[in-house]
Amino acid sequence: MKTAVNTVSFTLNGEKKTFSTRPDEKLLDLLRREGYKGTKYGCGQGTCGACTVIMDGRAVYACLLYAMQAEGRKVRTIESMGTHDKPAPIQQELVAAGAVQCGYCIPGIIMSATALMEAEKDITDEVAREYMDGNLCRCTGYEKIWVALRKTIDRAAAEPAKKAPKGGKK
Amino acid sequence: MRPDLLVKPSSLAGLWKALPSLPRDRRYLAGGTDLMIAAGHGHAGDCWIDISGLKELKAFRETSSSVFIGAGLTIAELAEMTAVKKWLPALALCAPHYASPSLRNMATIGGNAANGSPCADGVCALLSEKAEIVLGLKGAKRKMPLHSFFLAPKRTALKKDELILGFEVPKWRHVSAYEKLGPRSYFGISKVTVCVSAELSAGLVKEAVIACASVAPVPLLARKAAEFLYGRRLDEGTISEAAALAQSETSPITDTRSEAAYRKAMVRVLAVRALSKLPA
Ligand SMILES: Cc1cc2nc3c(=O)[nH]c(=O)nc-3n(C[C@H](O)[C@H](O)[C@H](O)COP(=O)(O)OP(=O)(O)OC[C@H]3O[C@@H](n4cnc5c(N)ncnc54)[C@H](O)[C@@H]3O)c2cc1C
Repeated sequence: MKTAVNTVSFTLNGEKKTFSTRPDEKLLDLLRREGYKGTKYGCGQGTCGACTVIMDGRAVYACLLYAMQAEGRKVRTIESMGTHDKPAPIQQELVAAGAVQCGYCIPGIIMSATALMEAEKDITDEVAREYMDGNLCRCTGYEKIWVALRKTIDRAAAEPAKKAPKGGKK
Repeated sequence: MRPDLLVKPSSLAGLWKALPSLPRDRRYLAGGTDLMIAAGHGHAGDCWIDISGLKELKAFRETSSSVFIGAGLTIAELAEMTAVKKWLPALALCAPHYASPSLRNMATIGGNAANGSPCADGVCALLSEKAEIVLGLKGAKRKMPLHSFFLAPKRTALKKDELILGFEVPKWRHVSAYEKLGPRSYFGISKVTVCVSAELSAGLVKEAVIACASVAPVPLLARKAAEFLYGRRLDEGTISEAAALAQSETSPITDTRSEAAYRKAMVRVLAVRALSKLPA
């Protein structure tokens, strides 16, 4: 049993980290305080999805978690995705589709899309839409986001076929 | 108000042992999706006990006559289970209507009941499936029909420190339909929900349970409507009469989400839809 701990340890973007925290600090606030500012504060009540991160493979809202609830878990933020110079496929497609306007929702969109692509195979539009249900965008409308997501999914689906001769089956 | 202390026991035994040493004003934290919002609005205790590490609450057991689901299972985990799809069709059907995917990854079925809200989707589904709720406090366990767990809005039968361990649902060969009316087709708290589970035999109703959410102070069983259906064929006349009975059993109020008169009118509409949708 842990009592009155003031630290929390979890794997953040593949690295084991320990942070000092307080019982009342939200995971979102800890991440931003520690410089992981790609994760955004939107509504603060689990509705808009701007703060979406991946915890143990599932998309969750960092605004509804206390930092200490992450103890021992694996957390991934937008910082684990591509960079300016080397964007991840979903990031390339979002830009190509013109899906990014103010950009505030995009980190959350990317994390939900990543959870979707890592958890599901043969992704139909219906499944994709269900996964993206908890992420709101107030600028571009969703059409361009769908286009980008569909292209990314189709690109990923085409890839193992290309690699198969070398890598064998997955 | 937020807690000054957050503790995380790793077993039930550890929890019961630690209780006496914790501040008196304490509560359990499961997914946090209700508690966190409540904490933003007012006092939410000095100490929160994170129960997400309790393996006992993640239990899933199946016997020849019943299915037990642990209170700590999330809606997403439940919706993915084959046994849930088979034996708890209403719970599986309600999942897509339950908040959003990220919320379903966090929200637990135990928290949905403990919160005591008449609009809870998981509760509405489980009610229609004749679930019993299993509670534990130190060594003592008790079990009661789920409907009798709810006393008033936000008031349940839980005693201080008592924990919901899970839900026991009898295996019965039923089909279900889940009709939720929210502010939009997905992701919103219900204005009215009607969930029907029924066992049909040669086209006749052998047994039916009708649960309604957001139309009474507590999650409601429309008993008269369900009794009326007994032994009948689900034709248009029967459905219409049963829906009218269900409507008469509700007592909705006007609040931020909807208006009493609209809710009342919609109970009937949703009951007709649900009964008409039941797979033959
Ligand atoms: C944006 C948003 C949308 C939502 N949409 C829906 C929806 O569509 N449908 C719906 O039904 N709900 C919805 N909810 C409400 C909420 O997600 C659910 O009620 C959820 O199931 C609560 O579970 P939790 O694990 O998050 O509970 P918590 O917030 O951790 O706890 C809720 C309460 O239950 C107590 N508690 C929790 N577990 C136990 C236990 N095992 N024993 C005893 N007490 C316990 C806690 O002390 C607390 O008082 C929504 C919430 C948000 C924020």
